[in-house]
Amino acid sequence: MLKHDDDIITAIASGQVESAIGVIRVSGKNSLTLLEKIFTKKPPYEHRRLYYGFIKDKQNNTLDEVIVGIFKSPQSYTGEDSFEVYSHGGLVVMNAILDRILSEGARLAEPGEFTKRAFLNGKMDLTQAEAVATVISAKSKRALMAAQNQLKGNFSKQLSKIRDRILYLMAENEVRIDHPGEDLSQMTVNDRLAILNEIKLYISRILRATEFGDHLFKGLTLLIVGKPNVGKSSLLNLIVGEEMAIVTDIPGTTRDIVKESFNIKGIPFSVLDTAGIRRTKDTIEKIGVNRSIEAINRADIILAVFDASQTLDKEDFNLINRLKFIEKPVIAVLNKTDKPTAINEHDIPIEKIIKISCITGDGLTDLENALEKIALGNFDDTQLISLNSSQKKALKKAFNICNQLSKDIKKDIDPVLISVNLLSLADYLDEVIGRITNEDMLDVMFKHFCIGK
Amino acid sequence: MRYPKNYDIIVIGGGHAGIEASLINARLGLSTLLLTISLDSIGQMSCNPAIGGLAKGHLVKEVDILGGEMARNIDQTGLQFKILNRSKGPAVWSSRAQADMTAYRLRMKYTLENQKNLDTKQEMVDEILTEENRIVGVKTNLGNEYFSKAVVITTGTFMKGKIFIGLNTYSAGRAWEPPSERLSDSLKSLGLKIARLKTGTTPRLDARTIDFDSLMLQPGDDDPIPFSFRTKELRRPNMPCYLTYTNEKTHEIILKNLDQSPLYSGIVESMGPRYCPSIEDKVVKFFEKTQHQIFLEPEDEKSTEIYADGLHTSMSYEVQLNFLRSIKGLEKVEIMRPGYAIEYDFVDPTQLKHTLETKKIKGLFLAGQINGTSGYEEAAAQGIVAGINAAFYLLKKEPFVLRRDDAYTGVLIDDLVTKGTKEPYRMFTSRAEYRLILREDNTHLRLAEKSFKAGLLNKDEYEMIQEQKIKIEETIKSLKKTFIFPNEQTNKKLKELGSEIIKTKTDLAKLLRRTEMNYDKLREIVPDLEELDKFIKQEIEIDIKYEGYLNLQKQQIEKFKKYENMRIPEDFDYTRVGGLSNEVRGKLMEIRPTSIGQAMRISGVTPAAVSILMVYLKKYDGKTDSTS
Repeated sequence: MLKHDDDIITAIASGQVESAIGVIRVSGKNSLTLLEKIFTKKPPYEHRRLYYGFIKDKQNNTLDEVIVGIFKSPQSYTGEDSFEVYSHGGLVVMNAILDRILSEGARLAEPGEFTKRAFLNGKMDLTQAEAVATVISAKSKRALMAAQNQLKGNFSKQLSKIRDRILYLMAENEVRIDHPGEDLSQMTVNDRLAILNEIKLYISRILRATEFGDHLFKGLTLLIVGKPNVGKSSLLNLIVGEEMAIVTDIPGTTRDIVKESFNIKGIPFSVLDTAGIRRTKDTIEKIGVNRSIEAINRADIILAVFDASQTLDKEDFNLINRLKFIEKPVIAVLNKTDKPTAINEHDIPIEKIIKISCITGDGLTDLENALEKIALGNFDDTQLISLNSSQKKALKKAFNICNQLSKDIKKDIDPVLISVNLLSLADYLDEVIGRITNEDMLDVMFKHFCIGK
Repeated sequence: MRYPKNYDIIVIGGGHAGIEASLINARLGLSTLLLTISLDSIGQMSCNPAIGGLAKGHLVKEVDILGGEMARNIDQTGLQFKILNRSKGPAVWSSRAQADMTAYRLRMKYTLENQKNLDTKQEMVDEILTEENRIVGVKTNLGNEYFSKAVVITTGTFMKGKIFIGLNTYSAGRAWEPPSERLSDSLKSLGLKIARLKTGTTPRLDARTIDFDSLMLQPGDDDPIPFSFRTKELRRPNMPCYLTYTNEKTHEIILKNLDQSPLYSGIVESMGPRYCPSIEDKVVKFFEKTQHQIFLEPEDEKSTEIYADGLHTSMSYEVQLNFLRSIKGLEKVEIMRPGYAIEYDFVDPTQLKHTLETKKIKGLFLAGQINGTSGYEEAAAQGIVAGINAAFYLLKKEPFVLRRDDAYTGVLIDDLVTKGTKEPYRMFTSRAEYRLILREDNTHLRLAEKSFKAGLLNKDEYEMIQEQKIKIEETIKSLKKTFIFPNEQTNKKLKELGSEIIKTKTDLAKLLRRTEMNYDKLREIVPDLEELDKFIKQEIEIDIKYEGYLNLQKQQIEKFKKYENMRIPEDFDYTRVGGLSNEVRGKLMEIRPTSIGQAMRISGVTPAAVSILMVYLKKYDGKTDSTS
């Protein structure tokens, strides 16, 4: 049979893992006819109803006792007729059902193909599709909630608003091209600049919201530095909570740089070189201040730890001097506040200073708040955005074009030249929304989904 | 009778579209017959006595490079020539000329009469003859049947034309000329969709009764530039136009008498052009404006008739006379011919291919106002494209299609066949996306190759243009490689020329990019530079000064081409594509876009639908019939 885009696709949506319940998703124009052939409950099937019955093989042997959910076009995820089989979650049984579906002419879905169909059937735009990927890969509940917001289309609405402003500028510009003498437009250079600035502000806000969104959706990396015995390891244990710590090797890096992942206020964090920090407990610390440059480059935030019960020594000052040249956010953590204070914090030229006791836990909330503030800036969770790299690139280009346009409008140059840049500006925005798109881009875009979506 | 001679092509109508269609066919060596209601009206200017104007100048020059006659004709019969928008950027420069209407018309008539392979006859066509949806000929009001393999219809406003002056109406194709009452019925019976449009014209005034001394003089350019790249020198007079304005009194008279207007009394219901509204429309819609511009233009070097541009009207004769006499300079004016509105049949142009052939009838081509356009230039541009394609259809050559990135003509036709029109369609700069590249000044440079390959340009002309192109490219290259150094003499010269001094080694292209610089000034600094032709200098300056923007526009064109090059087969079966809504599928089946790019431009076809089509075409390209 010929492969059509209205052919039937299927996949185990709950993944190739054992679980209590397995979900097998099937979508395509004639999927409900297929269901009829394999399911003991016969039609009529109603939209959004669950049916109880048995999946049978060709010899009419029972493969499993299941519930089947019906989703009819256009009110299904893909926009096509589709159904989901809720089976027992064993690998053997799920694959047996999958094979049975395949034997009736369905084919295995490619990664992201369900979502791709949803996009192609106009159920969502690209920013929403991107949000689906983010929802799936969300590392914390907080990240999940934020991604859901984008999935609802809030961000698309924002982009449409910007697009409308661009169209307005374009229309005004066209009037000046075709009807120069007729003073049809009353807009001054300043009026036009004001609209452009509004567009620019929007775009730069989105870019920043994406940057901070990446922090929430993809996480940040911490680097803890300080001379021996200031309490780096205790600090690590305090913020991670020892029982939560998961130690993993990161491929492609030196074996002893190891990362631990955990959430602080729902934001995923990881700490670089934790093995190095932990090792100091039982052996002589060698690593101390001499952190590799590479580690600094890879970190998003640096925690510089000092012992508050002692005055700063040469080693501390060495560290302070090195940190001066680093452009990443640094927090100075003054540990051991449970002991009498000897340190003079005016000697530490770091803006953000947090006093903490790893023994009593005092100051932990302050540190967590400081980390949250750096991670998410002043953004509200609902404003955070997740975009893929080509969308980000398009937005950055759009921003640069805005700068060029500002210059050109200020000089009040030929409206035809202005229109060339306005056209590109609109094009780039359309790329972010997915209004103009091509198959290659779609393929890349939908490949990073898991199979069942 | 059955006419004894068979023709390759018959052109119906001797207006601006019909002229180009018949001439190009005859010039391509095909036996051609032009049938017109009146041989005296060949090349008649029904409305304003001018050729060109904003975005229309582009069309005239495009017709010229494709082997058309319009540009050559106006170069020989113009009364004044002007480049509009000279103070603005080169993309909006537009040539416009006042024409001696009589001379224009007669020169066209003689050109047709002296053209080999072309017969002209005065007869009215009543019926299109077809066999199995293929053209076989036409039948006239005299009962004559002429046989041909292709027919180009260019009837302008003549099909069921109806004129309105105040509350008086009568049937006419133009002013007092008889309309064609039967042809559109014949088209309807062939399955074509017909609708009505409306347009209008202004009163013609007696120059002897106008006080020109009190009005502002509007002369043409002192150094006029011809329309045709073939015209080496213009030897024409520079007759002035005059500018005056309507006033509150004028507006009051019009508003008081709206019940005398067929537009406002509900007699005329079809859509008129929004961009070229009647004076009564302007007064009602732009109520806050206290005056409107009126240009008084000569119609004929020897006649006293004056065209009042800006005063399209269908008010009653009495109201026309009253409001005219309220205008400065026209206090004692006499009307020679009143303004009128005309309503006529047109064919919904979405029924056409890009070649202007109807999708329904093989060998039947339509061009000009019959397709819902307005303007002589729009008509001529369609006429030449329809003519070329009718010829290529007979010669079994590849269709000749201009794209949106090729020419304004391409934009015009693509708009018509893709979107249709609800009002008379006029060309505007804003309709063209790539106007920085599609300039009027470079028309012959950008279209020469296409025209030559299609056999529309002779070898000498082509080589002459190629030489210009090479000269421009090589000079730019060498300017980029020639450096000057910051010495005293150079900087002194720069200061004299009103430009900033240089501090480092600078190439000449960079220097030329400065706003105040031009090639001649460059030669003052570097006397070794070659003296060049005025046109070549201008092109070099444009290319260098706008380089960044031109490059960006070229990128945009590349992106555009990608979608244009995703072809959709003519017989593509849209019912096979899942996921399309019935509405979108219906639209696609009606328009039958030739490419994904065109599909994107159909109103109501969503981006998602385009994505589906794209995926489908890419996956099943060439194997849609597989039954495995």
